[in-house]
Amino acid sequence: MTATLFIERPSGLHALNPLTKLTLALGAVVAAAALETLPAVLAVFVLVLLPLSAWAQVLPRFLRTCLRVVSPFALSLFPIQGFFAEGTDVLFRLGPFSLKSEGLWIAAMLTARLLVGLGAATLLMLTTRPDHLMQSLVQRGLPGQLAYIVVTALQIIPGFQARAQAILDSQRSRGLETEGGVVRRVRALAPLISPLLLGSLMDLEERAIALEARAFNRQVAKTSLTELRDGRAEPAARALLVLAMLGLVALRFL
Amino acid sequence: MNLRLEDVSFKYPSGVTALEHVNLTVSDGEAVALVGENGAGKTTLAKHLNGLLRPTQGAAWVGDQDTRRNSVARLARSVAFVFQNPDEQLFERTVRAEVGFGPRNFGAAPAEIEARVQAALGRLDLQAFADRHPYDLHLSQRKRVAMAAALAMDTPVLVLDEPTIGQDAGGVALVGRLVESLKAEGRTLVAITHDVDFCAEHFERVVVMADGRILSDGPAGQVLAQTQVLAEAAVERPQLIRLAEALGWSETPLSVDAFVDLLALRQKEGS
Amino acid sequence: MIEVRGLTFTYSGTSDPALQGIDLSIAEGQLCAVVGANGAGKSTLCFALTGFIPHFYRGDLQGEVTVGGRPVATTALADLAGEVGLVFQNPFSQISGARYTVREEIAFGLENLGVPRSEMPERVAEAVDLAGLAGLEERSPYALSGGQQQRLAIASMVVMRPRVLVLDEPTSQLDSSGSKEVFAALRALAAGRKTTVVLVEHKIELVAAFADRVVVLAGGQRVADGAPSQVLAAVDLGVHGVGRTRYTLAALQAQARRLRPTSSALPVTLDQAREFFQ
Repeated sequence: MTATLFIERPSGLHALNPLTKLTLALGAVVAAAALETLPAVLAVFVLVLLPLSAWAQVLPRFLRTCLRVVSPFALSLFPIQGFFAEGTDVLFRLGPFSLKSEGLWIAAMLTARLLVGLGAATLLMLTTRPDHLMQSLVQRGLPGQLAYIVVTALQIIPGFQARAQAILDSQRSRGLETEGGVVRRVRALAPLISPLLLGSLMDLEERAIALEARAFNRQVAKTSLTELRDGRAEPAARALLVLAMLGLVALRFL
Repeated sequence: MNLRLEDVSFKYPSGVTALEHVNLTVSDGEAVALVGENGAGKTTLAKHLNGLLRPTQGAAWVGDQDTRRNSVARLARSVAFVFQNPDEQLFERTVRAEVGFGPRNFGAAPAEIEARVQAALGRLDLQAFADRHPYDLHLSQRKRVAMAAALAMDTPVLVLDEPTIGQDAGGVALVGRLVESLKAEGRTLVAITHDVDFCAEHFERVVVMADGRILSDGPAGQVLAQTQVLAEAAVERPQLIRLAEALGWSETPLSVDAFVDLLALRQKEGS
Repeated sequence: MIEVRGLTFTYSGTSDPALQGIDLSIAEGQLCAVVGANGAGKSTLCFALTGFIPHFYRGDLQGEVTVGGRPVATTALADLAGEVGLVFQNPFSQISGARYTVREEIAFGLENLGVPRSEMPERVAEAVDLAGLAGLEERSPYALSGGQQQRLAIASMVVMRPRVLVLDEPTSQLDSSGSKEVFAALRALAAGRKTTVVLVEHKIELVAAFADRVVVLAGGQRVADGAPSQVLAAVDLGVHGVGRTRYTLAALQAQARRLRPTSSALPVTLDQAREFFQ
């Protein structure tokens, strides 16, 4: 019932500290950006992200999301780069345009990097609750207000959706036609958007009051109900990952 | 205009069954109250009366219109629905414009719209607020604006979802008078209400729901005295019925007048 | 526990005072109901008792409100939170949005107060029990019904164990059994933990059954104050737009029709009515 991708699973990956998962995701992204051959970048996806998602018991969902988001990009990247990138190795001609293998290769690299970046983010979101991730960041110094904004933004969305549906129902029940031509649909928007906005504004004021009443602004070290476990090997693992990332970046630029 | 639910069952996409084999016929001009706990299925049932929800099994009819074959906007010409939360509909800059929204959607002529808006504002005692912004008003007043808006649609059927929530004593009395005048006009009314005393006073027929089923359906005097059924539905009995029981009476008075009449009768017989 | 002296408040941008010269003294552990027509100033009073007037709502404030010895006007809201709790009408906007389960949502206030983790499970369980949310602990707050969200708002405040709890129509969306449970729970809180409870409500029968004291507001002023049986039986109550139980209305009509003497006190509760009509 939330806008997050988080799926609860009793997996080892889920049980890891959110910071560790974040570091893993960042590591994958840095690797994809720093590595320069197509097989290397794809290896990050196939040999790192896929097994991790299988371990997390979210493989089907992971693959579906990655493919669904990357496909439209890939579909446009390949023709565009293929025809318009600079190169000499022509594969075939279509009128004044020529499809070059250099272009295809660029498209392939871009797609692979996109796949890894997206895959890392998706895997992180599938296995980590946003509020737990925020909690671990707040413990490391992230401002509490910022963390609150991020988490509530994610939660507010389904609330918004539910409310938008309720508003739609109300207005239809008063004779508002929502099906039909463009003009009709556009005219149907004002009675739908205004209550949503006005209601949200009123909500904001009351929400601010509610937060105050729950001591949100008190200048005290906050505690937490949920204990985020940090396995004994994890801090070291994170440090190693960061070093590896730095190493890869250094290699790339030297 | 009559309403019919024939063996209606409804399951939400999430898998939750909200209505099970519900049969209900509301005849033209009847005033029916739906009572039951939160979650009993009252609002789900009510939404079948204007096509907002369509049965997953069975059929719902508004007059001779099958709700599965008619759009909600079309059915709105027959059934005006007042939702529990007025803030889910209010969007115009003035109360007047808001109340006129329904008739405007129906393509009524400006003079007609003006007349209906004036009449509706009068019945809900909102004339003083006609040119105010709805969101400047108190929640209970906004609820009245929503009711006026439904009235202006001039439909044969009205469905009211919790019309007295948040109203003060004056507001409840106003809504009560409104219900009586709508009945006098021959309109068909279906009201969901937690206020059993209000229910007893204004609705001839009461339907008790629990867990998506109808437990009891009949004249208010009978149904509201069915202690077992109401207990099962976690509904409190009306104050006067409890008082009559405490006094050892066998009758079930539905209003203060009825109660005092019974008292007078007993007094006369006693002396 | 609560001392109000000469409280007069006019919201900025308006010309009529929402509250005029309110004097009120509420003892510890008392369950004080506030009734009156909409617009009489009940919500304004709630905000004034909890510091949201003047810290959140600007306006012309005169007089003084002291809670537990602390003047509300000069104590920061962040310091008042935890001591004084406020539950208001719209349950949806009281959900913080920062937590994914009911259990964690309730604990949110405790986290903000810096309460040790070891204390939290017990306090959360207590609040769940009091608000009648058993079985819903793992649900998302946004997946609850309006009535359940209202209970959640109550639980979220009660868990903080405030010395003063102010509630503005907390049962408006609850059915009759739910409302009764909430009233009973508040009564238990007042009696057990000596929480001072100020409750704005329209449900007169429940107010009569559970409140120690009833204050009637009309036009921003306190027009009646006393035990429920006194205040709610007063003949002139209708003038102030306050509802009455059917018992009282039946008694009034019986008196008008000479079926009962006008000297007898009007009944407010079922038991009193039984005696009256016996």
